[in-house]
Amino acid sequence: MYLELSHLKKSFGEKTVVRDLSLSLERGELLCILGSSGCGKTTTLNMIGGFLAPDGGRVLLDGEDITAIPPERRPVTTVFQSYGLFPHMTVLQNVLYGLKFQRIRRGEAREKGLRYLDMVGLSDYAGAYIHEISGGQQQRVALARALIVEPKLCLLDEPFSNLDAALRTRMRQELKTLQRELGMTMVFVTHDQEEALILADRMAIMEEGRLVQYDSPLAIYHHPANAFVADFLGLEDLEWRRDGALLKVIRRDTKEEA
Amino acid sequence: MDKKSGGLLRCRLGTAADRLILLLLLGAVCLFVLWPMACILLRSLGDGEGGFSLAAYTEVWQRYRGNLWNSVFVGVLSSLLCTLFSTAAAIFIATRKGWVKAVCMALLLITMVSPPFVSSLAYIQLYGRRGWITYRLLGLSWDPYNCWGVIWMQSISFVPLNALLLIGILTKLDTGSLQAARDLGAKPAAILRDIVLPLMGPGILVSLLLSFIRSLADYGTPVIIGGRFSTIASEIYLQLVGYSDLEKSSAMNMFLLLPAIAAFFLYRYLMGRSDKLAEGSRSRQGRLELSLSRCGAAGIIIIAVSLLFFLMMVLQYGCIFLSGFLKSTKGVYSFTLRNWEELWRLDTATMVRSVVYALIVSLAGTLFAMLFAYYMERRKVPFHSFFDCLATLPYMLPGTCFGIGYILAFNHEPLKLTGTAVIVLANMLFKQLPTATKICSASLTQVPLALERSARDLGGGQLAVLRDVILPSLRPAFLSCFVYNFSSSMTTAGAIIFLINPGKKLAVFKLFDAVYTGDYAVASLIASVIIVIVLAVEGLAYLITWKGGKRRVS
Repeated sequence: MYLELSHLKKSFGEKTVVRDLSLSLERGELLCILGSSGCGKTTTLNMIGGFLAPDGGRVLLDGEDITAIPPERRPVTTVFQSYGLFPHMTVLQNVLYGLKFQRIRRGEAREKGLRYLDMVGLSDYAGAYIHEISGGQQQRVALARALIVEPKLCLLDEPFSNLDAALRTRMRQELKTLQRELGMTMVFVTHDQEEALILADRMAIMEEGRLVQYDSPLAIYHHPANAFVADFLGLEDLEWRRDGALLKVIRRDTKEEA
Repeated sequence: MDKKSGGLLRCRLGTAADRLILLLLLGAVCLFVLWPMACILLRSLGDGEGGFSLAAYTEVWQRYRGNLWNSVFVGVLSSLLCTLFSTAAAIFIATRKGWVKAVCMALLLITMVSPPFVSSLAYIQLYGRRGWITYRLLGLSWDPYNCWGVIWMQSISFVPLNALLLIGILTKLDTGSLQAARDLGAKPAAILRDIVLPLMGPGILVSLLLSFIRSLADYGTPVIIGGRFSTIASEIYLQLVGYSDLEKSSAMNMFLLLPAIAAFFLYRYLMGRSDKLAEGSRSRQGRLELSLSRCGAAGIIIIAVSLLFFLMMVLQYGCIFLSGFLKSTKGVYSFTLRNWEELWRLDTATMVRSVVYALIVSLAGTLFAMLFAYYMERRKVPFHSFFDCLATLPYMLPGTCFGIGYILAFNHEPLKLTGTAVIVLANMLFKQLPTATKICSASLTQVPLALERSARDLGGGQLAVLRDVILPSLRPAFLSCFVYNFSSSMTTAGAIIFLINPGKKLAVFKLFDAVYTGDYAVASLIASVIIVIVLAVEGLAYLITWKGGKRRVS
């Protein structure tokens, strides 16, 4: 297994946030951790990224135990919910920042940066400052900045929550395409059921710090482990694209509204 | 019918009163800020008999060029040194937590409420000819009265204001950026160099600028510890107090006024840029998570410089608080209350007068600032940016300029105010107006426009909006504004020294006198009393609003 979380535990004071969480993921797959707010999904992500030390358990990546490695030396990058872009740098400088700490020649780095900007469709904005571009564009900069260092694992913390519905749908497709092309292993945290079903190769559903079900989206759709999962997903029907990918999720409540 | 016309009349009256208030505010700003500045310019170009002449300028340029260069020299070195101290102290405090942070903040706040000349006073007592450290501890015998002492003391005493400004910027820093940098492989030293320092950039420039202008304007330090070394500001003080030469001091003041005005516009531009940097990031604010001890050489320098600074602060205030209660007989110190009794007997009236003046300025100034902020923020005022700029200008104006301007503007009929309390009060009020207005504007932007609209929608006129919506919602700003005005009025000397009536002295003036004549024990005591009074009044103000707040809730 490429990524393996084994028996992770974390509590803040009296409150236990993550209880005995174990799961594993193959290389090149996208894992969605799905749950309502306060279920411990962001805490789990922070433990994988190295920003929180677990109280117990281990994180293994590509056969190496990375539990004790600090974030700056972990081969893992994160796309933060608030993006964390550097306001005093241009788009290109933001994207290139991580390469400063790898031994890469300046010209080579610049070329690579432009290639990644092209990949996320921002070639025309290389010289712009962060406050000069839109929220969706900022999101792409954050993505390019995290991917350019070629991490072994990329983490995304509700990256689309600041975007409007139409843009969110488009970004989902783009992210999925990019992830397939690069063969990047990703862990994606969200509370949006549709987003998880569309993006995920593997889906983990959390409730109050526990892993309730871990499987492929379709398996979860057909066989929800218990009443909570069935109710939380609230699925009525799925719509498919011609190439066999999932296009749209029809939920019970949205159908009633319509 | 009667009722209707009565309502109409009341509405008209309200509109008229609203216009009248606006006119009074704008008129006052013109009269007390613009007119004094114009007077300095006009007087410096006069030949004393109503004609036009550049004689005063040529004389200043020929005879006082040395002073000009001294001012620039001291200004550049002081601002560099002071900015180094401020930046280090700000980063140090922002990365601390718990009691270390509390103690450092308390030290900064005490220096904010201390009267001027305190550093010079402590300097003489600690490092002077008979200084506790230089003479008694190290047995040195040296002459401390030179330009290095001036530079050193200016750098130290300008730090608190700059450090608080920079701490403000650091707390607005997006912690997400720091986390992202770390995630991408940046070690603490790289985070400090690539993220923290660049984001502080505009703030650091503002700190340089503010210290430079304050150094140019500072006459107290060179007069007290400069010895033979004199700057343009200390020469203005001598010309004015010693010879009453108004033409010459006006011309000299123009050399301070022009850089100050230039600096003022640069300052506004830089603050705008700093706000933009903070706004550009999706702010997630929190404590600055950065381990300074892992930041390499830069981190060690920051820790060392800030520890040196805080050590000097502790020494300085320890010295001030102690020396008021010590008497020296043949080099042996013993505890005494004699200075205290003497001060109590002679100067109670001065202290009471200072407090009364400060209270008047605080109340009047706060009301003025609230009204002014409202008209500037919410209403269409003709020449809006001009008046806004004019009201902010005194922030940068050197005390000597503001003092001489007032003497020139208000020493003849119909506005003969010199020698009265009014000129002192007005000077304090307008000197403090920029910061007071800023506090009120910040609070006003929190009041939703809808509140104002609903008051008008329900039939209230402009005056009703002001009375029922704006003033009540500025209640929290009232406290900060009052506290700021009070402590500034108690502790700023700047222009007041030139305006005061010799028969009606204020505490800061007595303090300057005592330091100047070498009566260090009394000076220390006055300084301590001022600090204690300001802290007590501020504490009381917080207590009252806190209690009041509780009563409203229950």
